[in-house]
Amino acid sequence: MKIIKIVIQVAFLTLIYLAGSMISNYLDIPIPGGIVGLVILFLLLQLKIIKVEWIEKGADWLLAELMLFFIPAAVGIVNYQKAIGSKWVSLLIVIVLSSLTVMAVTGLTAQYISKRGRGAVNGSSDKNR
Amino acid sequence: MVLLTKIVSILFTYLVYKISKQSYSRWNLFFLTPLLISPIVLIILLIATHTSYDSYYSGSKWLSFLLGPATVSFALPMYRQLKLLKKHLFEIIASITAGSAAAIISSFFYALWLQLGPSLTTSLVPRSITTPVAMDISKTIGGVPTLTAVFVIITGITGALVGPLWIRMLKIEKSTAKGLMLGMSAHGAGTSKAFELGELEGTFASIAMIVAALITIILAFTIFPVLQSELLI
Repeated sequence: MKIIKIVIQVAFLTLIYLAGSMISNYLDIPIPGGIVGLVILFLLLQLKIIKVEWIEKGADWLLAELMLFFIPAAVGIVNYQKAIGSKWVSLLIVIVLSSLTVMAVTGLTAQYISKRGRGAVNGSSDKNR
Repeated sequence: MVLLTKIVSILFTYLVYKISKQSYSRWNLFFLTPLLISPIVLIILLIATHTSYDSYYSGSKWLSFLLGPATVSFALPMYRQLKLLKKHLFEIIASITAGSAAAIISSFFYALWLQLGPSLTTSLVPRSITTPVAMDISKTIGGVPTLTAVFVIITGITGALVGPLWIRMLKIEKSTAKGLMLGMSAHGAGTSKAFELGELEGTFASIAMIVAALITIILAFTIFPVLQSELLI
């Protein structure tokens, strides 16, 4: 019974995704269907057009198994041995160093603001909105 | 026969994923994370059975397709935690803008330093964000979308693997900051990791992933062309 519920809800979420893709194509915007669909679902929930219970089980399942959906593309690395060739060590260095840089910049900025912002949150956020 | 290949490729992907996920939660060794070990096992299986990637992907692409509805599903944690997100709005926008700029600029300069050439460099630039957006941006700025997709995956695996250690070394204690840095640098894979740390971390990683995609679209069409025309010859 639980599986049937998940399947129906995932099908519903897929419809929202397809609608998002159509809108993104039609308007010719660089924002992909998934993100447009996310905004649509958020608005549907926020405006109480659909109930959380209608999608909750399906959405929680998709999010819990998220890594599964990355795997087929990751296996695709086998097809790029030629294009990447001898440069894979350099590529790996760039990706690792850049990831560390991005995490440090993001994490330290966020932590600095949240520590400093205690008590003065409203002032700083209003100014920058 | 063709249909059978498709079904088998989906079943095996699911099976390998489930087994690695269970062993990961049982022994808690970082290299057992499904994102790293499952593709390796599957590649070995493909080579051992002389199966081409194309025939494997003809079936398993349906699993990739579910990334779309999964992206839509991120609306749910955002809806549940809306109050919290509003409260931290400035922290989110500021740190993700800084992070997105750091992603573009640092990929560009590290690639320049290691002399990777224009096409690989451009393909590396959008790699911190979720696959479909990254591929779109790559196409528009003159990269190779399929290569970008590969880099996005490697970035995701890297972030999920080194993220927790890097968080400790940088002494990041705030849950919000932990979530933001994982979602910013490693998109869905980082978000999945963040949910392992906690509900709050996961929620902030989800919002980071979404905001990062939007801000990177803007930056890729503003600051990147300047870098490109000045330095990439």
